Amino acid sequence: MTSIQVFDPVLCCSTGVCGVDVDQQLVVFAADVDWAKQNGAQIERFNLAQQPMVFVENPVVKSFLERSGAEALPLILVGGEVALAGRYPNRAELARWAGISKTVIEIKPAGGCCSGSQCC
Amino acid sequence: MKFLQQPPRFLFFTGKGGVGKTSIACATAIQLADAGRRVLLVSTDPASNVGQVFDVGIGNRITAIQAVPGLATLEIDPQAAAQAYRDRIVGPVRGMLPDAVVNSIEEQLSGACTTEIAAFDEFTALLIDSALTGQYDHIVFDTAPTGHTIRLLQLPGAWSGFLEAGKGDASCLGPLAGLEKQRAQYKAAVKALADAQRTRLVLVARAQQATLREAAHTHDELSSIGLLQQYLVINGILPRSETENDPLAAAIHEREQSALNAIPDVLRALPRDQVMLKPFNLVGLDALRQLLVDTPAQAATADSGIELDEPGLSALVDGIAADGHGLVMLMGKGGVGKTTLAAAVAVALARRGLPVHLTTSDPAAHLSETLDGTVDNLILSRIDPHLETERYREHILATKGEKLDAQGRALLEEDLRSPCTEEIAVFQAFSRIIREAGKKFVVMDTAPTGHTLLLLDATGAYHREINRQMGATGLHYTTPLMRLQDPKLTKVLIVTLAETTPVMEAASLKADLERAGIEPWAWVINNSIAAASAKSPLLRQRAANEIREINAVANQHAQRYAVVPLLRQEPVGVSRLLELAGGNTDTHLPEHSL
Repeated sequence: MTSIQVFDPVLCCSTGVCGVDVDQQLVVFAADVDWAKQNGAQIERFNLAQQPMVFVENPVVKSFLERSGAEALPLILVGGEVALAGRYPNRAELARWAGISKTVIEIKPAGGCCSGSQCC
Repeated sequence: MKFLQQPPRFLFFTGKGGVGKTSIACATAIQLADAGRRVLLVSTDPASNVGQVFDVGIGNRITAIQAVPGLATLEIDPQAAAQAYRDRIVGPVRGMLPDAVVNSIEEQLSGACTTEIAAFDEFTALLIDSALTGQYDHIVFDTAPTGHTIRLLQLPGAWSGFLEAGKGDASCLGPLAGLEKQRAQYKAAVKALADAQRTRLVLVARAQQATLREAAHTHDELSSIGLLQQYLVINGILPRSETENDPLAAAIHEREQSALNAIPDVLRALPRDQVMLKPFNLVGLDALRQLLVDTPAQAATADSGIELDEPGLSALVDGIAADGHGLVMLMGKGGVGKTTLAAAVAVALARRGLPVHLTTSDPAAHLSETLDGTVDNLILSRIDPHLETERYREHILATKGEKLDAQGRALLEEDLRSPCTEEIAVFQAFSRIIREAGKKFVVMDTAPTGHTLLLLDATGAYHREINRQMGATGLHYTTPLMRLQDPKLTKVLIVTLAETTPVMEAASLKADLERAGIEPWAWVINNSIAAASAKSPLLRQRAANEIREINAVANQHAQRYAVVPLLRQEPVGVSRLLELAGGNTDTHLPEHSL
């Protein structure tokens, strides 16, 4: 299965609840990652504040940081290649990269008509 | 002393700040070392002063005390521990990543959470068997003031549970995520705490209602997390022999005895020791060796009359009232009387017809008991860390979690159980109240020193964050830290006692505040015996000892100051508080106010 690697900017934690203001994007993305994992996706997240060595050891990430700086994060690699930078993917994008079938996306939502970052 | 008999491996001393637990912990460590045991004395107080007591620099590493064979000491300094933690993470990538990136990592790791976690990590390392701890027969912990102690001691249990319940890597452990591999260590630490064969908790209190009530509260909280072997030490009791011919000493003695008679039931059942008030300051080895020995107090020699003509609190209240509104923060080590003085200042301002909001962020404060009545123009509130955390969690779930599905909400809820959430929640409540000070007076009886600084640290982190966000927009904005730094808006009163260690601690608090860009407005020396008219030889000796400290405050530390005498009756209730704050209004014009 294709592995998805998410290189986060400096975060207190992956949902951002430790920050002085909770970032809505992070809350939604954490839920989406959790959902994708439940559906078999292989996703890893790395926090620049906690695991900076991982950033150093990956040549793609290292040169991205050198060129664009930490402000340009997050960086998402799919199968080791750059798939997205500067924003978090939504649930549909995660599903597509991970090969999660569309039916799951439609069946799964438990909170009424809302799903992830998209709400009707 | 019962608590010294057959001592187990771990001895914890806890109690409301200012009851003398540092002195008793030090004296205990010395006594054990003198008996040939190998002892490590550990301070976990963010505002530690063990180094001052032994007159050596200790710091965040084990230091042998040369004068006491067998004794070594360690101060767990949260700031230094956090720095070491940062170095561990940032060190290897320095030079490998752009400087701006490295700086952003360091900034993220400079918050209150990192500090607390790094200190916690060091603390647990001492509770497990290792090459380090194996060298000692006893480890004596001089723990932080009560509220903080409870949190510190509860952390091993709470956090182990947190780590176990954590789902994958998503749980918000904050900087603790880097420590997850030490899960076994936390578990072992909890086990050691709950083992009566290995751990003894000594509650230190004074013969005062408030500290006894606090000790009972600590007893319950710590029993519930499994620390069952508890002892009680009542420190600083005025001997009956001192009460002849001295109405002040007699009143104090009577007050102490009635507090002891009304001791809460849960404490009555504990093995109890009493330590008599000594005429000397507890600094240096000789003094500490005498603390736990029941020799009759030597006849005091200072017979020269002490005539103090020092400014009272009323002059300070005049200066505060002049601005019509603002934030008044009383800061200082726990137990110096911040709650009482905050109440006195608030009542005095309200009596002048000024609107006042009196509040506390100290989990151990008893504002309503101190006030014991109502006053026009005065409202009371407290920042209760538990309540604030709950409110904050609900708020985040209702707003940021609104659009999540059930699974996502569960995840967010889990993350909001992070220990960091409390710091943030208290900070939010704190900033909310600060804003009121633009229109009225907000008098804040703050939490003890270390806590408060963590809080200010969160304020600083917020300030930097907002600066980054707003810097480019050119919009006008005010952060809480800017309010604290503005002397027109914020007046910090440092409260201390006229004793060596409290004055030193207050001076280091002042330095910390200045680093944060906050200049204390005034100092208040509370419970001064020199300012009361004592006749008992022991009290007179203590009064004579005070003069040097009062002079140090007046001449070296304070822009303006007040001295509040030790009173015959506890300043509880509106009328006594008014007397405390305004007693000198007629005779003492604010000559020292500028």
